[in-house]
Amino acid sequence: MTSARTSRGALGAPALGVALAFVPLAAPHNVTLLNLGFFTFLYVAQGLAWNILGGFAGYVSFGYAAFFGLGAYTTALLWLHGWTPVLTFPLAGLCAAVFSLIVGVPTLRLVGPYFSIATIGVGEAMRILMLNIGITGGASGLNLPTTVPSKTWFYLAALVMAAVAYAIATWVRGSRFGLGLAALRMDPDAAETLGVRTALFKNVAHVISAFLVGVCGGLFATYFQYLHPDTVFSFTESISLVLIALIGGLGTIWGPILGAAVFYAVQDYLQTSYPNFHLMVYGVLLIVILLFEPRGLAGLAARIAGRRRAPAPAADSPATIASKPAGNTP
Amino acid sequence: MTAPTRAWSSPADFPSSPLVLNSVTKRFGGLVAVDEVSVAIEPGKIIGLIGPNGAGKTTIFSVVSGKCAPTRGRVTALGHDITGWPPHAICRLGLCVTHQIVRPFTDLSVLENVMVGAAFGGGARVTGHDARGEAFAVLEFAGLAARADQPASALTLAQRKRLEIARALATKPSVLLLDEVLAGLTPSEVVQAVALVREICARGITILMIEHVMHAVMNLSHRVLVLNYGRLIADGTPAEVTGDREVIAAYLGAGTEETSHD
Repeated sequence: MTSARTSRGALGAPALGVALAFVPLAAPHNVTLLNLGFFTFLYVAQGLAWNILGGFAGYVSFGYAAFFGLGAYTTALLWLHGWTPVLTFPLAGLCAAVFSLIVGVPTLRLVGPYFSIATIGVGEAMRILMLNIGITGGASGLNLPTTVPSKTWFYLAALVMAAVAYAIATWVRGSRFGLGLAALRMDPDAAETLGVRTALFKNVAHVISAFLVGVCGGLFATYFQYLHPDTVFSFTESISLVLIALIGGLGTIWGPILGAAVFYAVQDYLQTSYPNFHLMVYGVLLIVILLFEPRGLAGLAARIAGRRRAPAPAADSPATIASKPAGNTP
Repeated sequence: MTAPTRAWSSPADFPSSPLVLNSVTKRFGGLVAVDEVSVAIEPGKIIGLIGPNGAGKTTIFSVVSGKCAPTRGRVTALGHDITGWPPHAICRLGLCVTHQIVRPFTDLSVLENVMVGAAFGGGARVTGHDARGEAFAVLEFAGLAARADQPASALTLAQRKRLEIARALATKPSVLLLDEVLAGLTPSEVVQAVALVREICARGITILMIEHVMHAVMNLSHRVLVLNYGRLIADGTPAEVTGDREVIAAYLGAGTEETSHD
């Protein structure tokens, strides 16, 4: 929660980010590598964004595809009207943010599993709606202009998105706002009686994360050049973000970063040779993680680092997810 | 200090009262949990709120702290009509409640628990304040400074009760509502907790406390309110209420004539 405690680990990620920014210089024509980077960073950004509500505030949403899809379609439609895609990104985020407020105000009153179930409903309703209205091209999809920037540009743009999401998540976590989110996650009533405006805080967290995911959707639309409601509004897209945060470590900064890297690497590697096999891998990974290390890969890394550094790793109870920075991880 | 010698107080008796209940009624379906309770609390005093189980004591706290709105009646605190206000607003105004069943933020450290109160409570209105420093000062006052960096889940019950009080104190309340902070403590822990409550009062904070540990509440309170079946049946000094026939009947059953008090 303090600058002193976060600063130690805060150096690792920016250094990693800067290093990754030089990859296109070293391998400017390695399209496979640049694509891998683009999608991984896009998932890192979304995982970090999802985690602001799902991890910090404890509201596990299964409906983030709605924000991703809205962002994608906002960019796509404005692009078809002659806008430069980059200029549409803020609007893509804004559109998702406004929608998150509309669904968040009523659904964030629900607790725990009830909220999660409601978000499934919202996500699926948006997908069905988008399949059936004309403006999105409906079930036949939407073809977008083919004049797009280079792969290097996309790689760097996604990296910037990930960096922005990282910066925002890190700030939230160390701030008074983050302390309020942690408090309301553990006991909303107690937080409220101590002066935390829980309803406002939950919605602000929701809006911030939806905005980021909306921008990611816009970037995705620009990259993919073809949109279909079943792609961007898919339940799989929603589940992906939950999986990334859970595999990596709920409520940590490094969790979504590690989670996204593993998630996309597994998918990318397995999907070509063994379609759908990656889903089984995720399932097994999820069970193993929930059973043996509920703090995910970030927790596992912290445990290994702790064992190496000090002989008594017991001090790191699973309880300190929120308060301990992920800074101990390499 | 003038202990009220009258058996009943109306809201008009204490115009400067930090907390006034005016005909407060709270129903849950057919059950009348709190029935037409009118009372005004004097500033800077410790007021005990006692009564048999189910008398409506905690419900009064819930109504006052904003967790539920009264069915009828008004609550006025620190110059504002707070009826229907959300709990966070009431806390920021300067009225904080502790919970009967302690509710620490288990994943946070002891210090961070108190920081929540310091960062969001009444003190938060002062810009540029140092929540961490304030929280640590409160922990020192509450005797928990040595535990500051431990997770709240590692505390004993007595320490958790202290944490509950410390967290509430960090919100800089003018009125503190303590719900059974002595329950479940060993006799020596009770002595320490009683001393803590006295020190809080000495800081000028008005305390309304629900308590079942009779010798402690009679010792501490300047005034005792007795609730039975949601109604205020007695109001006076500890000596007055312990001699009150209706109070004895409420606790021991009607018809009990011979009871000794000292």
